[in-house]
Amino acid sequence: MLRFSSAVALTLSLAASASAEDFKFAVTTDPQTMDPHAVNSAPVLGFLNNVYEGLVRRGKDMSIEPALATSWEPIGAGEGWRFVLRQGVTFHDGAAFNADDVVFSYERASSEEADVRSWFASVTEVVKVDDFTVDIMTSAPNPIFPDSIANWMMMDSGWAEANDAARPDKEAGNFATLNANGTGAFQITAREPGLRTVLEPHGGWWDTVEHNLTRAELTPIQNPATALAALISGDVDFINPVPIQDVARLKQDPNVNVIQGIEARVIMLGFDQQPGAAESGQGSSDLFTDAKVREAVAKAVNVPAILQTIMRGNAEVASQLVSPAMRGFSGAVSPTGYDPDAARALLEEAGAAGARVELKCPNDRYLNDEAVCQAITGMLAQVGLDPVLDAMPVQNYWPELRADNFDMYLLGWSPGTFDAEHPIRFLGSTPNAEKKLGSWNFGGYSNARVDELLPMIQSEIDDGKRQAMLDEVATIMQNETAYVPLYVQPLVWGVRSNVSLTQRPDNFFILRWVTVN
Amino acid sequence: MLSFVLRRIGQSVLVLLVVGLVAFSMFNFVGDPIDNMLGQERTQEDIDRLRAQLGLDQPFPVQYVRFLQEAVQGNFGVSYRQGREVSEIILERAPATLELAMISAIFAVVFGIAFGVYTAIRRDGWLANFIMSASLIGVSLPTFLIGILLIYLFSVELGWLPSFGRGEVVDIGWWSTGLLTESGRASLILPSITLGLYQMTLIMRLVRSEMLEVLRQDYIRFARARGLADRSIHFRHALKNTMVPVVTIIGLQLGAIIAFAIITETVFQWPGMGLLFINAVQFVDIPVMAAYLMLIAVMFVVINLIVDILYALIDPRLRGADA
Repeated sequence: MLRFSSAVALTLSLAASASAEDFKFAVTTDPQTMDPHAVNSAPVLGFLNNVYEGLVRRGKDMSIEPALATSWEPIGAGEGWRFVLRQGVTFHDGAAFNADDVVFSYERASSEEADVRSWFASVTEVVKVDDFTVDIMTSAPNPIFPDSIANWMMMDSGWAEANDAARPDKEAGNFATLNANGTGAFQITAREPGLRTVLEPHGGWWDTVEHNLTRAELTPIQNPATALAALISGDVDFINPVPIQDVARLKQDPNVNVIQGIEARVIMLGFDQQPGAAESGQGSSDLFTDAKVREAVAKAVNVPAILQTIMRGNAEVASQLVSPAMRGFSGAVSPTGYDPDAARALLEEAGAAGARVELKCPNDRYLNDEAVCQAITGMLAQVGLDPVLDAMPVQNYWPELRADNFDMYLLGWSPGTFDAEHPIRFLGSTPNAEKKLGSWNFGGYSNARVDELLPMIQSEIDDGKRQAMLDEVATIMQNETAYVPLYVQPLVWGVRSNVSLTQRPDNFFILRWVTVN
Repeated sequence: MLSFVLRRIGQSVLVLLVVGLVAFSMFNFVGDPIDNMLGQERTQEDIDRLRAQLGLDQPFPVQYVRFLQEAVQGNFGVSYRQGREVSEIILERAPATLELAMISAIFAVVFGIAFGVYTAIRRDGWLANFIMSASLIGVSLPTFLIGILLIYLFSVELGWLPSFGRGEVVDIGWWSTGLLTESGRASLILPSITLGLYQMTLIMRLVRSEMLEVLRQDYIRFARARGLADRSIHFRHALKNTMVPVVTIIGLQLGAIIAFAIITETVFQWPGMGLLFINAVQFVDIPVMAAYLMLIAVMFVVINLIVDILYALIDPRLRGADA
């Protein structure tokens, strides 16, 4: 009987696959705009990667592969990059793609109104050589330029101008906020912000179609329990994320698969390293200007235990500010390791035993962030510090960090370029508003050699020399315990078991790799 | 009478101003919208520029006065998150909430009165006792728990009803309704029960106690002595006289249903104003929060104003000494 019913089910599913494949997916955050240049946020860029395309794109293993450009090469001794464009590409409205659209997309994405303009900080000019060749000139040699523009998406100049959307308008919105016209595998057929967004395959797409979808619908579901119920009951085919505590239970369900991986995001502890009076009302003043105390914290935190209990074995210990999946990951450093006795000795030596420290922590930003901070507080108490935890919603958290109201804080960092240079620029450099360096270095970590190496790394064309410098920075930052890297955040997706897809560490959900059986 | 009404309206306006003031002073504690609006690669310069542009660098009384000036002209500003007119967004979301509130209210009234009458008449029957005990669930369990339990039972375990959302909707002008499609109607069932359960219990218990009170009155006894049928006594003589306080409560609860739809909408991902508000809080979308809170305040004030005026019409003593 069982065999009979499964045979019937198989026939039914075969019959179904011949008809329309309607795929419903749920995420926590609705992409706030359909404009690929207005906002630089993962929910927006991740979603729009299905609709718009760049000159290059990332493959299943995060490597850079040709998209709207078929090939590229450096110009001269690093004056810029020449991109040869793909011919025969059409936008969703049927317009043809050519070099004018690239120049226009550069002007649009690098304009004052665009949040993504920081990607083009080093670009001086974009020159149309002919209809299918473009030169992008940079002020200094930039070896990872192609990597850094994987999310720079091409918009049709004619369409944007005809609809009065030649510049992004984030504050008041314009035509491109609600409508999209890319070259990607899917086009948007309905958009109701915060409710649903409907996609259908782009008939004239240039690449080989791997998916078998005829329609896809995105629904934001904020409540994790609701999303889980929707997945189990089959109302949606995909949810992201699955709450860590539900993973084990969900694995028991034969209709659902849990897809796990590690994200690009590294979770770390930061310190107030600025000398001077305590800016935090509670903490001891210059405690963490002493590298020994920072090292003691690194040795006091038992990361494997945190991962086993709070993350239920779903994350990986981090040795540095980037995950192993990133370009430029350094093999020169390894995790500090748990050593409470050494930590206690270091604190005694520094005269910091019994000192009061305040750990600031968000409670709705990273997976189980508050629970992790609670565990860390307990571990710091065990080695003889007197820690207090102050956890708060992320909207209140960033202003606190900007106002320097902390002794220690928890931070997650996902490098936008998927390269080890990125966290050095934002977290490792001495803060310098003019040069736009160290803008997330809340604790004011500063090392002259790191500052000196950064521009050299940015312009080094030779991979070996570049890696040697990245290794040097990683080693310096570990020796000085600039930050305490804790773990690489896990990525947990839930899908119906008849769906196969590819999970990428950047947490982008790529529809063209989805097949429904 | 006119001076009474004018005084009441004056008081209502004052209430609205105070609600707005409290709301704006609270916005300082909800957090900072700037980080959500700018990406990872923002600089301090970007932060300062945007803050000045949005007027967030001003003290809250200034922001509040500016909001009022715009609001009286019907302009509630642009949503920080969606980059669209707030009034447009709220108008788009209102039908979902109003439809849900209406169905919940009908559910609460119909079942509340029916159960109330039944439990009053069959005071010692086992079914009446069962209904009374079960109704304790309605008053004691929090809404989100009831919602999750219903989803678990009817969507996950039995698979009868959708677990979230509104289903297919049909647009009629600017109004969108789920009542005209099968999936729309199926989607309404669980949220309506979740939202209306508390009100149903309230009405049921009120009807029951009023009914028991009335059934003890002399005129009921005389009606019985006259040999009238039970049905006629219960529904023509007793029920009518219990309805006066019940109708008052229903009127007041209608506002509560719309305002407390927030939780039900969150649990069922119901695309109404409550969900919009919750999302706005998470994103610190101040224009949306302000408009929603003012709207709910206006609603309550108007309902209370109407109730007050009706009372005054019925009972001249309430018009005040100077009337």
